[in-house]
Amino acid sequence: MSGFRIPGKGRVDPATPVSFRFDGRKVRGLRGDTVASALLANGIHLMGRSFKYHRPRGPVAAGSEEPNALIGTRRGPGRYEPNTRATVQEIWPGLEATSQNKYPSLKWDIGAVNDAAYMLFSAGFYYKTFMWPRSFWDRVYEPFIRAAAGLGVSPSREDPDSYASRYLHCDVLIVGAGPAGLAAARAAAVDGLRVVLVDENAEAGGTLLSEPQARIDGRSAWDWLSAELAALKANGVRIMTRTTAIGYYHQNMIGMVEKLTDHLPDLPADTPRERMWRVRAKQVVLAQGALEKPLVFHGNDRPGVMLAGAAQTYLNRYGVLVGRQPAIVTSHDSAWYAAFDLADAGARVQAIVDTRADVRAELLAEAEARGIKVKLSHTATATSGRLRVKSLRVNPVRDGKVGTPYTIHCDTVLMSGGWTPSLHLFSHTRGSLAWDDDLTTFLPKDTPEECVIAGASRGLWGIEAALTDGADKGRAVAAALGKAGTETAHVVEADRPGTGTSEKELPTDLDPSRAKAFVDYQNDVTAKDLRLAVREGMRSIEHVKRYTTNGMATDQGKMSNINGLNIAADALGKKQPQVGLTTFRPPYTPTSFGAFAGYHRGAHFEVTRKTQIDAWAEEHGAVFEPVGQWRRARYFPKPGEDMDSAVRRECVATRASVGMFDASTLGKIEVVGPDAVEFMNRMYTNPWTKLAPGRCRYGLLCGDDGFIRDDGVIGRLSQDRFHVTTTTGGAARVLNMMEDYRQTEWPDLQVWLTSTTEQWATVAVNGPNAAKLLAPLVEGVELTDDAFPHMSCAECTVAGMPARLFRISFTGEIGFEINVPTPMGRKLWEAVWQAGQPFGIVPYGTETMHVLRAEKGYIVVGQDTDGTVTPHDAGIGWAIGKTKPDFVGKRGMARPDLVAKGRKQLVGLLTEDRSRLEEGAQIVFDPAQKVPMKMVGHVTSSYLSDAVGRPIALALVEGGQDRMGETVHIPMPDRTIAATITSSVFLDPDNARLKI
Amino acid sequence: MNAPLHSFEPSVLIETAAARVSRAAPGARLSLQARGDLPPLNAALGLDLPTRIGRRARAGALEAICLGPEEWMLHAPEAQAVEILSACAEVYASRPRSLVDVSGRETTFVIDGPRAAELLTLGCARDIDGIAVGEGRRTAFDGVTVILWRDGETSFRMDCWHSFAPHVQHLLEIGCRELAAETI
Amino acid sequence: MLLIHCPYCDETLPEVEFTYAGQAHVVRPADPSSTSDSEWEAFLFLRENPKGAHYERWRHLHGCGRFFNAVRDTVSDRFLTTYAAGAPRPDLSDLIERAK
Repeated sequence: MSGFRIPGKGRVDPATPVSFRFDGRKVRGLRGDTVASALLANGIHLMGRSFKYHRPRGPVAAGSEEPNALIGTRRGPGRYEPNTRATVQEIWPGLEATSQNKYPSLKWDIGAVNDAAYMLFSAGFYYKTFMWPRSFWDRVYEPFIRAAAGLGVSPSREDPDSYASRYLHCDVLIVGAGPAGLAAARAAAVDGLRVVLVDENAEAGGTLLSEPQARIDGRSAWDWLSAELAALKANGVRIMTRTTAIGYYHQNMIGMVEKLTDHLPDLPADTPRERMWRVRAKQVVLAQGALEKPLVFHGNDRPGVMLAGAAQTYLNRYGVLVGRQPAIVTSHDSAWYAAFDLADAGARVQAIVDTRADVRAELLAEAEARGIKVKLSHTATATSGRLRVKSLRVNPVRDGKVGTPYTIHCDTVLMSGGWTPSLHLFSHTRGSLAWDDDLTTFLPKDTPEECVIAGASRGLWGIEAALTDGADKGRAVAAALGKAGTETAHVVEADRPGTGTSEKELPTDLDPSRAKAFVDYQNDVTAKDLRLAVREGMRSIEHVKRYTTNGMATDQGKMSNINGLNIAADALGKKQPQVGLTTFRPPYTPTSFGAFAGYHRGAHFEVTRKTQIDAWAEEHGAVFEPVGQWRRARYFPKPGEDMDSAVRRECVATRASVGMFDASTLGKIEVVGPDAVEFMNRMYTNPWTKLAPGRCRYGLLCGDDGFIRDDGVIGRLSQDRFHVTTTTGGAARVLNMMEDYRQTEWPDLQVWLTSTTEQWATVAVNGPNAAKLLAPLVEGVELTDDAFPHMSCAECTVAGMPARLFRISFTGEIGFEINVPTPMGRKLWEAVWQAGQPFGIVPYGTETMHVLRAEKGYIVVGQDTDGTVTPHDAGIGWAIGKTKPDFVGKRGMARPDLVAKGRKQLVGLLTEDRSRLEEGAQIVFDPAQKVPMKMVGHVTSSYLSDAVGRPIALALVEGGQDRMGETVHIPMPDRTIAATITSSVFLDPDNARLKI
Repeated sequence: MNAPLHSFEPSVLIETAAARVSRAAPGARLSLQARGDLPPLNAALGLDLPTRIGRRARAGALEAICLGPEEWMLHAPEAQAVEILSACAEVYASRPRSLVDVSGRETTFVIDGPRAAELLTLGCARDIDGIAVGEGRRTAFDGVTVILWRDGETSFRMDCWHSFAPHVQHLLEIGCRELAAETI
Repeated sequence: MLLIHCPYCDETLPEVEFTYAGQAHVVRPADPSSTSDSEWEAFLFLRENPKGAHYERWRHLHGCGRFFNAVRDTVSDRFLTTYAAGAPRPDLSDLIERAK
């Protein structure tokens, strides 16, 4: 065991040593250590290099607010995380930790030349340095900035861990399990209230873990803590540790990230690495405590300079003495207690330097009793030492004048600039803050949420004050929920309430323009940078923040915001509340993408809907494509076939004999009721009154703006019942639109809508042999032109299954669509497949379907239309029931712009050189015009067509329907293609092929 | 995962110490929508349709849950579907309504076990405690519309459309294992 | 994530069960064909964009399926009230008073 571990101190387990590696070197710690406490126990303070100047840095804090000690952690291949705070990462046997932002080594880093060239990197240096010449932006500046700046290196492999998420509902959520949070939980845990107590640390207790000297209700703080935790559990309180409340969202929703495995040597099965909790609490108690502020003076970032409270935590919680000869610099009483604790543990405290003239007599007496020199009315002006602090330069201050400096030799400098209430989550609620002149900090004021603040986060110092306030707040939230909370009172001995003053940068006798007095350690922002920003015209604190990047690093300004504000306010000659505070935004601490993604990755990234026939398609080598949420078979290549050849074969076989297609994904809506026909008349452009039961019709759906929304074949099953089909992607949208009109525009109509998309599996059979193939399978319907003409529908039996049979065609061939209940889909498909073998039936996918329909000029809504296309534009004005008094879209189609000349209209295109056009390619009339040319339309669909004998395309072209036979031009990167405008129906314009 | 459903037989999909998820046997499912005067329909069904959203009623093997102000889902054994459809057809003229057979549309997961309610919190944003035993709700589970029936403190049924079932099942399976691995 | 009270279910439920459906009380003219171009333009396109109380529509899509109306404060994102489709526009000053 190293000499910095104090036997008998701390909550680490001396019986369980734990070895890990830091920069390849084996380090021994104890179970319960963090990486930082274990390294400090081995006398290692240097843990990283800074962001901009590459200055050597060690930990300043002991908790999640740590700005400096950022490490990479590795657990075997693939498991690497950068920018982990060494102060929160628990050690486990085999952990590999590495320092960051250094080359070639942490102790000898070449980037440290930036430190000498620091004049270049002053406030706003990005804006000044990297402006000119413009040609350098992409090639020089950006690569340079990317390489030089930044923290850790991103992991390069896919994350092998799993992440989870859960919703949690509770009556009371308490954030922070320090004395205030514990007392609030105890008071509120009554009468079945669901109380959740959450803390980011590995164990509950908060400040109690660092203050074992206190005696609560006659017991030592740690005994009291374990008894209290047991009592809370017995009262049904759910205590969640290693869980950070990262954000406070609307109406008491709190996002929390629980870390489940980062502290474990072996990864347990079925356990996610992190879990995002989405908590909805009726009442929230924020008891997040306060964060200690550094003092701002030249050299306040040298390894070995740290917060006094952190040193106290390392000693009392981890049993680690951060230095043998600490010097204290403070403006607050709390650092005195740290000094006493370290002295009592064997450190030779070199001096307590306090900026204040008057300090409580009791503190002076205690210092004297320990033989500690005290320097009141002093300032700290510099430190020395390359990789570790060696001395502190201090000066007396008299009447505002900085006196003669002298040097205090030391191996650590423990500083305290007072405490800042942790208001991050409170600020997320859009809560207002009030400046407190006595505490020189902002305190919480009003919030629109059901939320109260307890303890140090509202400026109450000391354990007793926190316990009392926590209990009060616990009872208050119980009362808000109509319950009487538990009455408790606590007596605390050896409590350490204290006071202090808040400083801007400390007064100095050195040239302030050369001082490196750090405010934001992580972004390397100094007091001088903040003053420069104000001198250069930044007035708003938000501008100062962005210009200097103060508070913009991953620690979100936890330590720097108030110091930065004090300095900016001084430079502006204003009071702090007039300057204002920058906004805190979630997350409270850096959060992994995995925690946000949760289960939604890989195959579970989003819903993938599959039909009952999908598995058959997969077994038969289909290539799939996503259509909406559905995965659909695109084509069925045979060995050696590419898409073009497979699609060509499928098209040829279908037109020559018969093909089958899985149309199950088409949207289906059953429209039922006495007013069903009236509803259909109002929704769709077509007339429905005269459509006889047993017949179907192509239906066109527009919006009230007159533009095409959807289409599909609609069958009338009986007087009061329609079977509506929609596009695959439009199913949910169309049902929503219909429900909207039904519920809110025409609530008097007796009609109801039911989605039957998934009630039916649909197999389409198309081709000259389709009827011949199906006839033996169909019972109850004779498949002839007389008995069951094109556009008929019937309920019947197909292959022994109850079916709805439609005679419709989206290919121009004789076509049927057979619907059977979804669970029978594959059985039907295989029955058709078997029956089709004598006819050489081919299964085809969406790509062939697209070619076959394009050859007939049938549109695909969303491909040939784009939300600005009217039925007339698409050449399907015939689908409009002109005599109907009203339907959705009728008035819209009469809008001036929609009846104007020169609208883009759907036409066919045949290229003169017989090349295939690119879908989306722009069209011009005159290829000789200057760039930018006037674009008059675009190609919407383009395919090779065996049936037509050349490539075909559909396009929207200005005034296209009046330009038949004209030539248009499609400029491409390498050439311009000429094409002739034709009818969009390329094949069988008389529909002769539809006849059996 | 995301495998299509070939089997419609009732079967246990996963069982851990935390919960068990199985697939219910197929049955008749009828979507009923009507407004106004319900007694004629009640008489035809032999059951008083509940009028408060989330409430259920049962008569023999026929079960009804109120999903909306004018909407119910009826569950019954497969053989009973025809009988229900024709009984309602008889009163159609006096009591217009929509009755659509959606037996083929949906499948049902049975979820039970000591931590069944917690398992649902993986995907259900609403407070499961707000659904009383013997009630049910239409809600969303991991973005998928489902009907959740609470049959007991730790016993639920979840209906969803077939194509969404693999996604739902996948998360339920992950959850069963995850919950079982937890040390409470 | 907001909490929304569904007036049909009479329950306050998470936003994920709902979808937004635009401004409320935009009445489709009884006889659209007799409307002028500017009246029809107003119906189709012209919408309020208030800072403060906004009358709007939501649908309890993953629940009872009903469209309903709501008044939401666009600054605080709080719902002042929700009410059934077809019900009259509630009095704003009352709502704002009650919200306080």
